[in-house]
Amino acid sequence: MLVTILEELSHQMENKDLQVQLSTKQGFPEELPSLLKCITSQTIAGFDSVECGGMNYQTQLVTIPNPQEDATAGKGLEAAELHGQVNVIFGPPPSSPVEATDCHEPHAISVSMPASPSGLHIVQAKKVLFIDKAGPTAIDGQPNQPSDSDSINSRQPQQGKFHSQPISAGNSCGKPTEGKVSDPFESQLRIPRNDSQRDKRFDPFKTWSGKLERQLSNLRGKPQEPDLEAANDCHSAENETVPAVDRYFDALEGPELDTLRATEVSVLPEDKKWPFLLRFPISSFGMCLGVSSQAILWKTLAISPSMSFLHVSLTVNLVLWCISLALMATIFLIYFLKIIFFFEAVRREYHHPIRVNFFFAPWIACLFLVLGLPPSVTVNVHAAIWYVLMAPIFCLELKIYGQWMSGGQRRLSKVANPSNHLSIVGNFVGALLGASMGLKEGPIFFFAVGLAHYTVLFVTLYQRLPTNATLPKELHPVFFLFVAAPSVACMAWAKIHGDFDYGSRIAYFIAMFLYASLAVRINFFRGFRFSLAWWAYTFPMTGAAVATIKYSMEVTNVLTQSLSVGLSAISTFTVTALLVSTIIHAFILHDLFPNDISIAITQKRPKFSKKLAHLRSASSDMKDIEASLPKNNPELEL
Amino acid sequence: MEEREQQLPITTNSSTPRQTPTTGLNIVATSKVLAWLSNLTRFHAGYFRISLSLCGQALLWKTLSEPTTDAHALRPVIHTLPSAAFFFLWSLALFSLVALCLLYAVRCLFRFESIKAELSHHVGMNYLFAPWISWLLLLESTPFLHPKTASYLVLWWVFSVPIFVLDVKIYGQWFTKGRKLLSMAANPTSQISVIGNLVGARAAARMGWRESALCMFSLGMAHYLVLFVTLYQRFVGSNSLPAMLRPVFFLFFAAPGMASLAWDSISGTFDNASKMLFFLSLFLFASLVSRPALFRRSMRRFNVAWWAYSFPLTVLALAATEYAQEVKGFISDALMLVLSVLSALVTLALLVFTFLKTRDLLPHDDPFAPSSSMSTAFVMPTLQT
Repeated sequence: MLVTILEELSHQMENKDLQVQLSTKQGFPEELPSLLKCITSQTIAGFDSVECGGMNYQTQLVTIPNPQEDATAGKGLEAAELHGQVNVIFGPPPSSPVEATDCHEPHAISVSMPASPSGLHIVQAKKVLFIDKAGPTAIDGQPNQPSDSDSINSRQPQQGKFHSQPISAGNSCGKPTEGKVSDPFESQLRIPRNDSQRDKRFDPFKTWSGKLERQLSNLRGKPQEPDLEAANDCHSAENETVPAVDRYFDALEGPELDTLRATEVSVLPEDKKWPFLLRFPISSFGMCLGVSSQAILWKTLAISPSMSFLHVSLTVNLVLWCISLALMATIFLIYFLKIIFFFEAVRREYHHPIRVNFFFAPWIACLFLVLGLPPSVTVNVHAAIWYVLMAPIFCLELKIYGQWMSGGQRRLSKVANPSNHLSIVGNFVGALLGASMGLKEGPIFFFAVGLAHYTVLFVTLYQRLPTNATLPKELHPVFFLFVAAPSVACMAWAKIHGDFDYGSRIAYFIAMFLYASLAVRINFFRGFRFSLAWWAYTFPMTGAAVATIKYSMEVTNVLTQSLSVGLSAISTFTVTALLVSTIIHAFILHDLFPNDISIAITQKRPKFSKKLAHLRSASSDMKDIEASLPKNNPELEL
Repeated sequence: MEEREQQLPITTNSSTPRQTPTTGLNIVATSKVLAWLSNLTRFHAGYFRISLSLCGQALLWKTLSEPTTDAHALRPVIHTLPSAAFFFLWSLALFSLVALCLLYAVRCLFRFESIKAELSHHVGMNYLFAPWISWLLLLESTPFLHPKTASYLVLWWVFSVPIFVLDVKIYGQWFTKGRKLLSMAANPTSQISVIGNLVGARAAARMGWRESALCMFSLGMAHYLVLFVTLYQRFVGSNSLPAMLRPVFFLFFAAPGMASLAWDSISGTFDNASKMLFFLSLFLFASLVSRPALFRRSMRRFNVAWWAYSFPLTVLALAATEYAQEVKGFISDALMLVLSVLSALVTLALLVFTFLKTRDLLPHDDPFAPSSSMSTAFVMPTLQT
């Protein structure tokens, strides 16, 4: 009977020019219904009150509504016994008083997933029917007929309380889903059933979707989890790989692309604190960059003849170096654990257009450590270390620059952003280190590659192409990365060439100009949320200070010396301030590692994005929503 | 090529039709000849890739067999090869170049519309540099002409002036027609214009004419800078290259390689700038070679675009040779060896493929024909000749 109902529904949909989407296992691309009527804020309030408030809205989306709610919420047609499940979503009829009052706001409609007590269970696929507002009038009578549904009164004003959920279609049985995101909904569905089991909501992000963890716990002798696990695997969707780069642009905003747009939902629950490893971003390596560059600065201050009037001792360098070594080891270890246990999350970070550049940070930090090596520890470093450190940089470069040149989605005109400087600076730092160690050809190789690609990046960033989706509109500390490349390049060229000649001086003056042009705009750098990535933006300042010291060795006069002192002071002060902020956030505010939303975006745009926007900020205007809606096609016609 | 040799003498038969009962036969013969002639004129400028590769290969062999102060690993190997092999290669290169030039001249005469279309096509216009580059390379690799002779000078002028003219036309277009042309039309084959300037610069430096060499070098490098940035940006909406032409991506590392060679000739030694350009070329080569998926679609069927693989490899091998001369060591020698062998093998393989699959190589239609109906119109002029 339900099948016939659905068939009639579909016919009527087509007749009335509605959008009916049947998403099967394979997941047709779903289209948003063109016309949606919105629910008023009153109904939203009612909706919210039923579901524990707007804060938990997201939770509701991804978990099963508690049984008490089922009576009020399960108003839609829920078909169960098809070979898939059909969740019919339809809006309130035009006759409802709700619509009489507000007819200009879009309706968002969703369906609630009933819990198992109502006899429905999601087995494999979900079929979703989207029906437009005109539809319900025709199907008014019919959906109320299913006998197994508690809800009959579907025409109440509060009717429009259907949950939507991010639908990830497709699933397969039994395949080891290594590197695949399993259907988050599936795994979440089982939570209320098995409260005693571990939280499976984070399974999609775990290595092999949690199988590794289960095996480890089995090894440790924990009780065998019931067969449900096998069923879980069997039913977990295997297909969905990492979201395409366009999804990152659509779903995220902000200079570091780390804020979820109002219209997007996160795959993981936002109200709960995620596991620590999952919250540990790769940008934490920025801390190593900041501290180890400080070690280099104090070493240079101690051993430069032109700075000898300061009488800086090498102990400072030693202390800083030891701290940075310890920090490096710690962060390396933690991230290594993250790779082991949450490989999927690491993959998502790798595909993030901004975070991918931070994958260079560990190696650059290692190079800094070798550069800042205190003379008391060792003087001569074996050349093999340089090759070992440059090999990962080389491989990463091949991949990333090649993507710029020939990749489809990650073309530079689209993804260029100041963080790309991190991928360029590695070349120059490697050249500097190699030349300091006495190597000849290798440093020139990396210098050449870095210079060529730096030119391209510099021009592209200055152009601020309209197709560029990631360039922050406002000034942000990330812009300090502009200063990094020329300052390190000037030092590298000086070392390669033997003296601070014209090439180095040109690079140095460019670096100084960029620094000055950013420093005079210091007012614009306010009002940003602190994040760990800020540590990465301090090393350019330190680099500029070191370059100035080297320049002052060449051209020794009061001006250059005072400039060196001034820049060193600024950089030290900045690092100290950052350290204080970090400590405050870590121990007092406890939000040093917030939920890493940017890796938890959905594969596809959620269905009822407009309603979500409304719910999340009930008082916001339509304009705000429209402004925050991602454009479908960020690429303009040229 | 053998087919062409056989077909050339037959043109004499296509004279005026006679008013005899054999007119029918004559018409059939004439139409056959005309159809075959129209086949002939379908050779677009892309076919010059063949001559480019062969001339480059000849230059490589000549450079490898030059006597040097140090006995490198490769040189004894090259010396064992009879010099006749080099001479054979050089004659093959010369022959292919002459044949292609003649074919293109015939095409100019009979399909002028196509030539005009080719000149305004974003890929085709760059291959108009190719014949002149080939002639210059051949000139440099001539076994019997010394760079300081007068005939060398004259020939250099003869081959470089067209490059200048094309430069003015094409770079001027970038400059004045603005964004619409460069951002939209830039594609990897645009680097052939840069390579043309650099080859001219190198030949001039060999002659001893430093100023003209420097002039052409700076011209090439300035436009290379613009082109490099534009190509890397990969502006959305720009004319994308068809998948069949993916082999031209190899030109990405041909340009800096040639620049390295040119600067080496100008400055006399393989100094830091040449080294940097060589390393950049090496990096881009590694980057492309580690992406075989990029070329998969173009490798399905043999076509003339495959010849685009050979010339850049030859240029890289040449640069590696000069580098090994400067930096004497095991790694540089090994690099020179590997790259030279690779380029020789690739060229050889392409030659074998050409001889085996000549049918695939011959043009089936003229991609620059204004329209299919025009092809019959081109039959008309031939009747009057």
